[in-house]
Amino acid sequence: MSDGKIEGIYANRSSRWKIILVALVLALFLTLIVSLNIGYASISFSQILAILGKQIPFLSGSINSASISPSSQAIIILIRLPRVLAAALVGAGLAAAGVIYQGIFRNPMADSYLLGASAGASVGYSIAVLYVSSALTIVGLGIAQTFAFIFALLTVFLVLFISRVGHRIPITTLLLSGVVVNIFLLAMETLMELHSGQALTGIIAWLAGGFSDIVWLQVWAVMPFVIIGIAITFFFTRDLNMLSMGDETAQHLGVNTEKVRQLLLVIASLMTAAAVAISGVIGFVGLIIPHMTRLAIGPDHRILLPASAVVGAMFLVICDAVARVATGASELPVGVITALVGTPFFIYLLRRRKTTYSL
Amino acid sequence: MVSLNIDGVECRYGSIKILENVSLSVKAGDFVGILGPNGSGKTTLLRSISRSLKPYKGTILLNDKDLYSLKNIEVAKQMAVVPQDNTISFSFTALEVVLMGRNPHLERFQMETENDMTVARRVMNLTNTWHLASRPVNELSGGERQRVIIARALAQEPKILLLDEPLTYLDIINQLEIMDLIKSLCVADGIIAMAVVHDLNLAARYCNTALLLNKGCVFAAGSLDEVMTSENIKTVFKVDAMVKRNPVTNSLYIIPLSPPKSSPPRNCAIHIVSGAGTGTVLMKVLQEEGYSLTAGVLNVLDTDFETAEFLNIPVISEAPFSPITEKTRSANFDLMAKSSMIVITSVPFGYGNLSNLESAFEAVKLGVQTYIIDEEPIDVRDFTGGKATALMQELKKHGAVFIKHASELPALVNAKHDLMELQKNAETEVPGHTKKATKEIMQPTHHKEQN
Repeated sequence: MSDGKIEGIYANRSSRWKIILVALVLALFLTLIVSLNIGYASISFSQILAILGKQIPFLSGSINSASISPSSQAIIILIRLPRVLAAALVGAGLAAAGVIYQGIFRNPMADSYLLGASAGASVGYSIAVLYVSSALTIVGLGIAQTFAFIFALLTVFLVLFISRVGHRIPITTLLLSGVVVNIFLLAMETLMELHSGQALTGIIAWLAGGFSDIVWLQVWAVMPFVIIGIAITFFFTRDLNMLSMGDETAQHLGVNTEKVRQLLLVIASLMTAAAVAISGVIGFVGLIIPHMTRLAIGPDHRILLPASAVVGAMFLVICDAVARVATGASELPVGVITALVGTPFFIYLLRRRKTTYSL
Repeated sequence: MVSLNIDGVECRYGSIKILENVSLSVKAGDFVGILGPNGSGKTTLLRSISRSLKPYKGTILLNDKDLYSLKNIEVAKQMAVVPQDNTISFSFTALEVVLMGRNPHLERFQMETENDMTVARRVMNLTNTWHLASRPVNELSGGERQRVIIARALAQEPKILLLDEPLTYLDIINQLEIMDLIKSLCVADGIIAMAVVHDLNLAARYCNTALLLNKGCVFAAGSLDEVMTSENIKTVFKVDAMVKRNPVTNSLYIIPLSPPKSSPPRNCAIHIVSGAGTGTVLMKVLQEEGYSLTAGVLNVLDTDFETAEFLNIPVISEAPFSPITEKTRSANFDLMAKSSMIVITSVPFGYGNLSNLESAFEAVKLGVQTYIIDEEPIDVRDFTGGKATALMQELKKHGAVFIKHASELPALVNAKHDLMELQKNAETEVPGHTKKATKEIMQPTHHKEQN
């Protein structure tokens, strides 16, 4: 490779990244539209576009409302759209959180699922369902989801706290304490289920993870966490590059390591907790998506973060669509699909890591 | 001009004191070698200077400002660090890693500019890594990655460069090139370099100042001549070492000797006839075996003379490059006559030192056991027109033992010594049982001598 060529490639990085992002966002948009088309009632693409167009203030006048049946509009706007958007937001949030965790812990195995977020959310959810009046709502959200959010957040912080050695969090202690806390929470969960003796169909369905009962309120609740979280993280993507070289190296390169690390960990944990609270246990998104994106476009977080978020959104929207159509009558939980895809991938990573990655 | 002042620094890990009262003033252009045995606090000192470990006590001033009151980004513009551990988990390309060195000079949302690219290219050429630019760093060899990381540090355009064992992964040519590069940055650009170096000779060759740490304290600091003495090395590293000046590079160099074995002293004197370095190893080995050695006649400045001085072996010496005079010859003969054994190495013989052979011949006639190491045939190293060769023949006739290789000598000498001890005991003790033992010992010894 000639010298000028190397410099050329790097000089054009910025515009290349923009092209990648625009292409990915377009792909996501297409995925969303196609996903809106999938479901029990068949609604044509032209109808979907018309219904969506009507929602946009400037366009609403120019759209012929006559072709839209009220029931189709209700299905799209009240059922499918929130569901699809929730999947996209949760996917983006989990993937972005995964990018942050992996960068900060210098390891492509770190993931919010391993950090106990989902197990914490489950326990919180079950406590709320079993022991707290379900009539209670907090800012319009169900008490169960609020509990899930809080418990997910607390669990992640607990795991981070346990695995902390001095000022650093070694990945080995992190994974181990994640496993231990996960097991403990699972035991709690089982205990509660046995003790309650009730039919826990609601909890079990929620545990499996999915977007079948999503309402707009939940979309609005999770949106600020994901959008603002990713936006703030984007300010620190170059720092994240250097943090992935190790804390001391990052510090020597001028990064305010303590502050950036704490801030990003809080953001990632908030995004995770918010996502898990509305979607239930959806594993491996934060693991697979950043890793695959990194393989495709390289490890620079300036592109990795936004690209992973978009790819994560696409991935969950597709998984959710598959969940809807895979089995005829009853839906497949999305968490089952991601786990089916994720586990073999995780094993592949473990095997591969032996040669390529060091702890 | 950059300056770095370390004053009374004490560092702890938890309650364990690692460094105590370290003070050092470094000025622009200094290349400081931080030396010391494992666990003496070298890395800890470097960590406290690189702001990774805040001192428990004491201050570190960078350009007269408290280092720990500055922001990371301000320090990173001045100071770059090459850490001991160079693993990188993600597949950044070498160029991307080097460009990270530009971070302190960039605004938050600024992409690297053409100028940053020029700097990266320059430092990668300096460290001989430009050809690796588009390779992922986690697929590079340890040495390649190390040079990339040094390039990243240089891309910061630092005034102070801290290196923790920078040569660990490097082969010899890269070690020299990297040290050359750092040295030239100190000399030409007036930067300060501080490096933890385990190879004393590389430190001696490239650093202009040294800091020798021992058990967390400064044992010696200052110029190389002051710090790198064989006494200091002996005390701190527990190793005997000879410190000399290299005639080619004009730098100090250190020859470490293997750690002394503690054999009990033997009541047995051996006189060594050698020269030109042929006796150096032997002196060390026989001394470790516990023999009391003498040597001579040797010219002052001869390598063997310096070795003997270093090992505190009494030497009969002659002025440099002078033939042996009658006075030194007879003094030397007296020593030989009093010795239990004589060892003659395969030193070349000329008219200057021929009298050593003559003295040995006299001693042999008195019955002193003599061993002649005959690694090179005498006719090759006889510059006396056959006189030395003839003397060798005579020595052989009178019972001197010829040995093909010096490494066989210690065993032979030990066996002879044991035999003499037994004989001595046999004379004083009850005859009979002991004598039989003597005979048994004698058999293998004889066998060896005939070989």
